[in-house]
Amino acid sequence: MAGTLQRLPTVTPGRRLAWRAGAVVTALAITTLFLALSGRDPRLLADLVVRSTVGSRFGLEDLALFLTPLLLTGAAVTVTGRIGVWNIGAEGQFYAGAIGATAVGLYLPGPAWLVLPLMAANGIACGMGWILVPALARAYAGVNEIITTLLLNFVAGLLTTYLAVGPWHDRVTGALASTGRLPVRIPEIWGVVHWGFPIALAVVLGLAWLTTRTRWGYQITISGANEQAARYAGMKVRARILGVMLLSGGLAALAGVFEVAGTVHRLQGGLANNFGYFGIVVAVLARGSCLNVLPAALLMAFILNAGIVLQTEQLTASAVLAITGLVLFMIAIADELAHYRPVTIRAEARP
Amino acid sequence: MTDLLHSVGDTPPPVAPGTPPILQLQGICKYFPGVIANQDVSLDIAPGEIHALLGENGAGKSTLMNVVTGIYQPDGGEIILDGYGQNFAGPQDAIRAGIGMVHQHFKLVPAFTVAENIHLGWRETPFLASARVLEARTRALSERFGFSVRPDAIVADLSAGEQQRVEILRVLARQARLLILDEPTAVLTPTETRDLFRALRAFRAQGNAVILISHKLDEVIDISDRISILRAGRNVGTYRTADCTAGGLATIMVGREIVRRDLRARAPGAAPIAAAPVLSLRGATCRDPRGVETLRDVTLDLHGGEILGIAGVAGNGQRELTQVLTGMMPLSSGRILLDGTPAPLADPAAFARVGIGHIPEDRLRSGLAPSLDITDNMALREYDRPPIGRHGLYDRNAAGRLAQTIVEAAEVRVPDLATPIRNLSGGNQQRLVARREIRIASRVLVAAYPSRGLDIGAIATVLRYLTDLRDQGVAVVLVSEDLEELLNVADRIGVLFHGQLMATIDAATADMETIGLLMGGRSAHGGGDA
Repeated sequence: MAGTLQRLPTVTPGRRLAWRAGAVVTALAITTLFLALSGRDPRLLADLVVRSTVGSRFGLEDLALFLTPLLLTGAAVTVTGRIGVWNIGAEGQFYAGAIGATAVGLYLPGPAWLVLPLMAANGIACGMGWILVPALARAYAGVNEIITTLLLNFVAGLLTTYLAVGPWHDRVTGALASTGRLPVRIPEIWGVVHWGFPIALAVVLGLAWLTTRTRWGYQITISGANEQAARYAGMKVRARILGVMLLSGGLAALAGVFEVAGTVHRLQGGLANNFGYFGIVVAVLARGSCLNVLPAALLMAFILNAGIVLQTEQLTASAVLAITGLVLFMIAIADELAHYRPVTIRAEARP
Repeated sequence: MTDLLHSVGDTPPPVAPGTPPILQLQGICKYFPGVIANQDVSLDIAPGEIHALLGENGAGKSTLMNVVTGIYQPDGGEIILDGYGQNFAGPQDAIRAGIGMVHQHFKLVPAFTVAENIHLGWRETPFLASARVLEARTRALSERFGFSVRPDAIVADLSAGEQQRVEILRVLARQARLLILDEPTAVLTPTETRDLFRALRAFRAQGNAVILISHKLDEVIDISDRISILRAGRNVGTYRTADCTAGGLATIMVGREIVRRDLRARAPGAAPIAAAPVLSLRGATCRDPRGVETLRDVTLDLHGGEILGIAGVAGNGQRELTQVLTGMMPLSSGRILLDGTPAPLADPAAFARVGIGHIPEDRLRSGLAPSLDITDNMALREYDRPPIGRHGLYDRNAAGRLAQTIVEAAEVRVPDLATPIRNLSGGNQQRLVARREIRIASRVLVAAYPSRGLDIGAIATVLRYLTDLRDQGVAVVLVSEDLEELLNVADRIGVLFHGQLMATIDAATADMETIGLLMGGRSAHGGGDA
């Protein structure tokens, strides 16, 4: 008997889910192994992680605070993926949104019910503005969006730091690294969890509907699957690419608005905390489905939260990145392996 | 096709007794979820033999060849090469063993030049080679095998026929001992076909073997030594070609008698040919990005209730003509009139809305989104109108019902509507596209090579679709390379040469010779520039 592998043309969702679950378990097993090898007690750490993430109220609150930006940046990268475009610049648009919101919050006095929507609107407009040039270049000149959106991240990050330590720095307390505290804040609903969390959830559900149940979403799907077929059916592919990229910039910016107005309450360098890049991870896990962004972002939030806990136990901050990479790596392998199934060949005696 | 050069190795070379077959298949089985693609197929391919493989679409020919070329591993049975059992882990193993295949769907890199495609993944490619060296090598190969290609041309710019030539040259260059050709002549002109057959006979004369998959029975009888017929995944018989007739083969293939039908005859109560044209071109001219005129000063009228055939050698403006007529390509000069008034600017959606359907040349590349399911693909033309599209929404349930309707009208059996459309066979894809376009074609249907790559049964079905549509008063444009098909179906035939409409002639009185001369750029009156 000789064994060989047979490739399946399509993979059922259940089969993929099973493989992915196996991948996550494998990644956790490898993590545990390395923790044990470095002389720590994995059981103790695991117990600590579970207790301080899903096992306690504070843990759940932190989880929700991580989840809020991840849902939005994950959705931002997922929607562009549906038309075959990679927005690697969610990090930069996140900063742009935070800057736009802070500008309104700091310099436009008024009641919260008026100022907060204006902050959000300006933040979203700034995020869209940040992706506008890459989007136009991609749609009308075929310029690779991966490079352009990525490079603008560094510009946005440095601009944020400049504003926070320069023209907008806190003149009240004299803190050098951030702006003053914003006079308005997004109201909390549960501990430190603010309204941004339910709004982000609603936005993701709304996107799931928009991408699968509307004419616009259908055009995006077709354009992403085969641009020639979309042109054949008379769809305005360029306009759709532009529209999707602007939407994506706005979503990432909204994450920045929520972060600055709901969680941190002031603009400072490093505010985005890699949420834009983790959005790419979420999108890869979600495989183009906005509904899948929910579990994918939850997994990512759990890993980030666990990383904080591990740091309190003197583990390096890079451990989080390593674990994230490991999970992603294992899932990529699992997605490919899910296409194969073993078969046996009858080996008969040859004449 | 019987006046071919029979002098060059017309008969197979003598083979020493006891020589094992080049390829022997024993009881090959291949299953896909819910489908038996091959069941217990046994086959011998002798050295110095051209072996034709016949069968309807979906009979399992492509799957069997994918097994032979190492793309699929068989679920049962044995592959024996030169008397020794073989197990191909992948296509590279098969290529190393001297098995080369030219696929029906092109497997070239569109962004590369012809020379780069020929040399891609080839052991004999020089380690350091400039474009000039590769092009010189390609030119030498093209002369040696008798296939003229332009080595510096970008593949994406080539017509389907030219791309096929590159494909064949690519495999011949790798010195395969067993050459598998899947529908090689579907996109070739009669002259190119003759050249190909000459090359195949020369190939056979050296003791090599050829497996030829074709639907053209005359060709098969002309070139092959033996014929095997697959039906529903099984080998139903291998015959010496000398003992076969076209009618007999067709009967075995479909398992029933084919009824020939006079396709020009109108059914009683059919719409008469409309007096006023529905769609007209006046001096239509197109230029490509290099400024070359691809369509020159074409003037023609399409009338409801009439089929206009378009003949011509591939790459003489057919693609541009179909794209202009369906709103996909703007005119450089000239006018396009709908019911006598200027048509909307090149906008395929607007053309579809006024009732112009389009069966595109390469359905997989431009008419379908292969990775999406049947439902999404069937909604492509009606997603923006009720019941699917209302108030900017996309009603998936309504799309599913539409897909069900189209699938039933096309008489295609599918496991379920959520199947990615790339998992269907080429014939089934074509039927679905045809039915989808017929639904919206209330005025005009432009069908580019609708029977390409289909078996006899499927061709008859698609042609019946066209004549039914004609009888309903729709103007049909049929672009085809099969003159017999055009003469059977079309009312008038226009011949394209170098982007020019040479003449439009009455199909009832036309003969092959006149059309052949026009296709070669000569006018019907004997003049011309040849």
